[in-house]
Amino acid sequence: MILQIALLAGLVLFSAAAVLFKDLIRSAVCLAVASLLLGIIFFRMGAPYAGAFEISVVAGLITVLFILTIALTRVGGDVKESKISSLAFPLFFVIFLAIDFFVMKSIVTKISSLPGTPETGSFGEVLWNRRTLDLVGQIAIIFAGVFSVLALFRKREHK
Amino acid sequence: MNSLWFVYMGFAAVLLFVGIYCLLTMKNLIKLFIGVEIVSKAVSLVLAATGFARQNILVAQALVVTYIVIEVSLVATALAIIINIYRHTNSLDVRKIAKLKG
Amino acid sequence: MIFLFIALPLVVAGILPLVGKISRKVLPDVFANGVLLFLLVNAAVAGRKLIAGGPIVQQLIWMGEPVNIKVALDGFSLFMLFAVSLVGLCASLFSIDYMKHYGAKANYYALFLIMIAGMNGLVLVTDLFDIYLFLEVAAIASYALVAYGLEHDELEASFKYLMLSVIASSFVLVGIAVLFGMTGSLSFEGVARGLQAVDGKAVVGLCSALFIMGFGLKAALVPFHAWLPDAHPSAPAPISAMLSGLLIKVSGIYALTRIFFHVFGLTPALSGVLMWLAAVSIVAAAFLALGQNDMKRMLAYSSISQVGYIVLGIGLGTPLGIAGGLFHLFGHAAAKGLLFLNSGSVQLATGTRKLDEMGGLAKRMPWTAATNLVGSLSIAGVPPFVGFWSKLIIIMALVQAKQWTLAAIAVLASVLTLWYYLLIQRKAFFGKLNEKWDAVKEAPFWMTVSTVILALVCVAAGLFFSWMISSWIQPATDALASGVQSVLGSLGL
Repeated sequence: MILQIALLAGLVLFSAAAVLFKDLIRSAVCLAVASLLLGIIFFRMGAPYAGAFEISVVAGLITVLFILTIALTRVGGDVKESKISSLAFPLFFVIFLAIDFFVMKSIVTKISSLPGTPETGSFGEVLWNRRTLDLVGQIAIIFAGVFSVLALFRKREHK
Repeated sequence: MNSLWFVYMGFAAVLLFVGIYCLLTMKNLIKLFIGVEIVSKAVSLVLAATGFARQNILVAQALVVTYIVIEVSLVATALAIIINIYRHTNSLDVRKIAKLKG
Repeated sequence: MIFLFIALPLVVAGILPLVGKISRKVLPDVFANGVLLFLLVNAAVAGRKLIAGGPIVQQLIWMGEPVNIKVALDGFSLFMLFAVSLVGLCASLFSIDYMKHYGAKANYYALFLIMIAGMNGLVLVTDLFDIYLFLEVAAIASYALVAYGLEHDELEASFKYLMLSVIASSFVLVGIAVLFGMTGSLSFEGVARGLQAVDGKAVVGLCSALFIMGFGLKAALVPFHAWLPDAHPSAPAPISAMLSGLLIKVSGIYALTRIFFHVFGLTPALSGVLMWLAAVSIVAAAFLALGQNDMKRMLAYSSISQVGYIVLGIGLGTPLGIAGGLFHLFGHAAAKGLLFLNSGSVQLATGTRKLDEMGGLAKRMPWTAATNLVGSLSIAGVPPFVGFWSKLIIIMALVQAKQWTLAAIAVLASVLTLWYYLLIQRKAFFGKLNEKWDAVKEAPFWMTVSTVILALVCVAAGLFFSWMISSWIQPATDALASGVQSVLGSLGL
């Protein structure tokens, strides 16, 4: 449990670092590390498939897409961020942290819930047999993404 | 109901805060999208943690996997839009592209 | 086969690039419009027969084996399917001519069909997470479609729309996750049953707030409307028609209504919040529309205002209110679709959207002017068009429920609506012909045909309003008014 909390803390810290770093490549790498930590958290929660997906897709594919975009948009020069927001961040962060756990503990433990039925089957059976409509949706999403990118990068005849 | 649910929800809320803070204060288009990515992580953590707390981790995993597929499509589309904006204005500053008003 | 509503557009969208390679000019148009025509006929004819006995659930049988895909059709879903197919077909017909100069029409039609598939999926599923999934399908397609022209304004509008929309979707998903945590189920029936067994008023309130924020942004309720006045004008005209006419209603109002009526059950507090948000939308957007010079921007603000009317009627919760709200949904989809398509015709002919640069276009574009007049009067609520009846029913329902302030607001805003629509009509179409536009011609054939179809729908739905109500609106109202009971009882998954 301690390890899990340490991983969660690492996740939050690396995400905060991704926000605060001025250099975009460093931000993207921090985001990738945060995804990696999230994948390990999933694995330790008993969700190995989610963890594998998280690491390979989010820490891998999405990071590559980000780095590609950063490389393609490098030449224009850097964008000036306001210094105040970076400096004020730790203050707001600590305040939020203090309020957050206090509130969460009191609210969430009070949420009543139905007792669960024990789960049967394997992950594959759940995904393919019980949530089959999700797969149709996934196909639709992939179509949407592919056609969007094709449409947005099409050759333009006029200029 | 696992009593550790509130720990995970607490951390997810902090991640949400970090993501929304990024969206509110950053001016670089790609940084803004990194904020969206952080919010996505928070949401997938909420999904997985809820499933874990209910001992229903298999269904939650299926949801997280589907959610990650949605996220990939979204990232591809958004980055395509960002690259196109860069091609037009040669800058990634959100203040420079804001022309529409009213 | 109900599943065809989702599967057919997807499959055709998938093969459209190949079709586009074979024949660039004709085949993509034929395929896309053919699909939509088929869906319309299916909804209008076969759908009515299917639900004649009450809501049904169909399980898909693939190659002889039952697959665990269940789609449910009740009066409300069928009503939305009909509206989506009708306005979709007209927007698609319009695109035959309008999208010629944008290029890559096959790709455009593919995205269009994916958006239709997403919307159809949203109204047919019985599972909370699947609502979110198909919501995102339609949304991602719409981000690309808004940015389709790849000009500066469109990209900026699309980016802003994307950012706000993703955050809204995240709120919705967090709400769904909390409900899953409480009840252990994701289907409507499971969650409704679970909520009855567990005492969680505060948590249901929290989830309701999350859903109102999330779906409210999709429906462009004030104060979550900031993306709409940029996104809808910048998109190509048929896409503006689809977004304003359908997407904000399906992904915003339908989802909100379905969850609040069938899963939570409409409480007085919830009803009050919805009605007051709606009232603010109606008034604020109407005032903001007055000051606009850009024709499409004025139409966009008007959409926000009319969505307020719909939510006002539905939020009231009484059968009469729901009927009025749904009828207004249909009427607005047709009329606003018509108006945006016309703005596309005007933009194609004159090259501008600014109202004070236009003038007297009626002399050169008589069909466009006439259909625009029909659409404007319909939304403003002038008899005998459809908008008059729907607004009348909403106001009657409010009076019946003794909500005098809200009824007064609805009536007064109606006057404002009429005013700014007549402004458009006068500035753009009537009056003296601006010499610049001496050479403009009427819009090309398919564009005119699609707008005439929608204008006829506005007229017919207004003239035959009692038939419309008894055959389309009544089943939908019955499905909703029975509230949580309908999910617990007859859908019986």
